[in-house]
Amino acid sequence: MSNPSNSHIPQDRNSSVTVPARFVRLPSIAEQKLGTAYVAPVRLDPRALEQMQQTIKSLSSEYAVKLASQIRELLHMINDVCHPAGELRGKFYDSIHDMRGLAGTFGHPIVGQFANSLCRYMEDASHLNATILRFHVEAMRDAIEDKMPDKRLADETLRSLERLILNAKNENFVVGRESLSG
Amino acid sequence: MTVDASHNANSDIGRLLGELKILVVEDSETMRSLLIALLQTMGIRHISCAKDGQSGLRLFAEAQPDLVITDGIMAPMSGYAMTRAIRELREPDGSPAKLADVPILMLSGHGERQKVEQARDDGVTDYIVKPVTPDLLYARVIAAISTPIHIVETPTYRGPSPRRRLVAHSAFDLSNDEE
Repeated sequence: MSNPSNSHIPQDRNSSVTVPARFVRLPSIAEQKLGTAYVAPVRLDPRALEQMQQTIKSLSSEYAVKLASQIRELLHMINDVCHPAGELRGKFYDSIHDMRGLAGTFGHPIVGQFANSLCRYMEDASHLNATILRFHVEAMRDAIEDKMPDKRLADETLRSLERLILNAKNENFVVGRESLSG
Repeated sequence: MTVDASHNANSDIGRLLGELKILVVEDSETMRSLLIALLQTMGIRHISCAKDGQSGLRLFAEAQPDLVITDGIMAPMSGYAMTRAIRELREPDGSPAKLADVPILMLSGHGERQKVEQARDDGVTDYIVKPVTPDLLYARVIAAISTPIHIVETPTYRGPSPRRRLVAHSAFDLSNDEE
């Protein structure tokens, strides 16, 4: 079923040298299983989508409990995570990374955005600033406690957090260090 | 599309989803459970699961899936490395393994252009940025199994074209990440 044709493509993306490339077209998985008469649906099945929404709804309350518990735990971990000898950075990051991927699915997109901002900060920073971590986690807590009903307020908070991160990067800002050493 | 054609297409899709074999590779237990629940709700019955690329690769050979859905960053083996390993699979005679051309859908928390391009260069077919929503997952799974598989083969690479623009599908605006 393949329909190969010859052309040229760079062997190495950074190289100007070209080598022959072969292009192969294989039937779709659907055609392989159902034959060539298969026609892809123009619209997605609304009943299936509705059932998938119900599936998420049925898991949402369990996730909300887990999310609140994770946020409480994160608040307790901040000082350790920012201490040079702290051991919880990996666990803290995993928890935030989990929220980045899941919170939006379960109806907490703002928590997901704060988690995304914090993940990106942690991925870049060698030394972590406790104030940045605390402000992010407190913003997540406020969001799940409905203290941030206005999306504009959430967006403004997010921008403030991003400015704080930028300051920390540009000026080696060390807010919070004193409280850790004290 | 007429009503009858729509009905036929929907029954075809139902039958197809019932026969489909999917491998889910994801390190987050909650995300794994969510994906399984959503795929089952779509009517997919044959789902295998692994929690990192290494165990995913082992299971891949055993389950011979029609579609792989994988996270990006996992340890000890990432979804990127697993994708490269799948694309490099060979038959005993050295020819490309038929299984190596399987559609691979990466589901990642990273929407940055650099990560998306890395996924494309490693042989990923399609890319979804988390959080996943039912519409997004359903649409991308249907697209993955309905679209003809286009492969580029050079002496050093076989897989979806690394020169194409791979779109990072997202339920939310990614304009900040695309810069």
